[in-house]
Amino acid sequence: MLLPNFTYLRPNSLAEAVEMLNSFGDTAKLLAGGTDLLVNMKHGKQSPAQLIDLDGLGELKASQTKGEVMELGAGLKAAQLAGGLGGALPQTLALGAGALGSPQVRNRASLGGNLATARPAADMCVPLLALGARVALLGPAGERQVELPEFFLGPGLTSLAASEVLTKALVAKPQLGSGSGYCKLGLRKALEISLANVASWLLLEDDGKTIKEGRVSLGAVAPTPILSLGAAKVLAGAAADEKTFAAAGAAAAADARPIDDHRGSAEYRRDMVAVLTKRCLSQALADARRN
Amino acid sequence: MQKHILSLTVNGKEHQLLISPNKTLAQVLREDLGLTGTKQGCQVGDCGSCTVLLDGAPVNSCLVLGLQAEGREVLTIEGIAKGNRLHPLQESFVQAGAIQCGFCSPGMILSAKALLVKNQSPSEAEIRQGLSGNLCRCTGYQKIVEAVMDASHKMNGEVAS
Repeated sequence: MLLPNFTYLRPNSLAEAVEMLNSFGDTAKLLAGGTDLLVNMKHGKQSPAQLIDLDGLGELKASQTKGEVMELGAGLKAAQLAGGLGGALPQTLALGAGALGSPQVRNRASLGGNLATARPAADMCVPLLALGARVALLGPAGERQVELPEFFLGPGLTSLAASEVLTKALVAKPQLGSGSGYCKLGLRKALEISLANVASWLLLEDDGKTIKEGRVSLGAVAPTPILSLGAAKVLAGAAADEKTFAAAGAAAAADARPIDDHRGSAEYRRDMVAVLTKRCLSQALADARRN
Repeated sequence: MQKHILSLTVNGKEHQLLISPNKTLAQVLREDLGLTGTKQGCQVGDCGSCTVLLDGAPVNSCLVLGLQAEGREVLTIEGIAKGNRLHPLQESFVQAGAIQCGFCSPGMILSAKALLVKNQSPSEAEIRQGLSGNLCRCTGYQKIVEAVMDASHKMNGEVAS
């Protein structure tokens, strides 16, 4: 299985990458980790005339905290995020990144690639959604930031323009009393696209027992990763206990819009969303009590 | 298609090659350098038979462009023995009968090597996790896991090399 021909371009800076992208228009594609794009090219699904290789750009590999916001470079590898960036990263994203593909894939796959590829079950997208993340997109006119629910438009579809580079994801720095979780259900433990995956985030009141705010995001049960608005409603102001988590699970299952496919039935997926949501919220609670 | 100069280090030896951009690292290793120990199985990153270590990290060389190895160090199965002395992992694979058809063995051994550098005494579960990107179509996983466990025992006290 051979790659089709293309012109290979290696920009020396992000600015140069944007310039290259704009000089070629739609015929060029950005190459990040290559774990999706190169596969699609080998299968003949994509054949860009130019590949602009972002892999060597140090600018995209930084992570830093500015005030209350963590900026995660789009070039960070799943393996780096799975390592938790020295404990700074919210647990849900580290767990999601660690559940992606295999060790070999995680050493190549990037945060930005996972976001831009926008698969409904994407292991880093679902946690980022629960964390209330937004993404920074750099185009010829400068940078704009987009909230994730507005970024994901469909399977493989995003609001990233052909002239833009996704440069980073921005998430709130984990605060006292907050915690998060990630639960993935597949038919096997590695190299798996989820049947259903759920990420959770909780912020507790000072009493440590009441939920101030909570978010649950769902993967593989809609055309994009989605936030469960029903679950968020159940969680806000409720007691942080199993009963609340079960009610949030039921609300999340009601928000899921799964389909039948070769991986599983819609009915099974919906049932599993309830179970995974409950488990994932317990995980977030344990995390919040540690933090 | 314009060819590019690629400078990389493979198994400790520096090379300069003229290659087409659409060649994967797996193809460069096999076709340009004659290192056919790196196997090409699925070619889409699912089977792990093309696993090599890129600056010490296991990657599927079928999903890395040759040109992306510019300035980097690649370790293939040909580079892990010391002269005529097999690497402890290679020895353990032979002794445990962990090699059946042998097609997955180079990738398995390189994934195991990367695992043992990070974790000198992995549990069985950690070994299975470390090898989760490598498929054995003979399904001889049990002996492979035992071989890695055995090698880790042998290598403990020694510096992982």
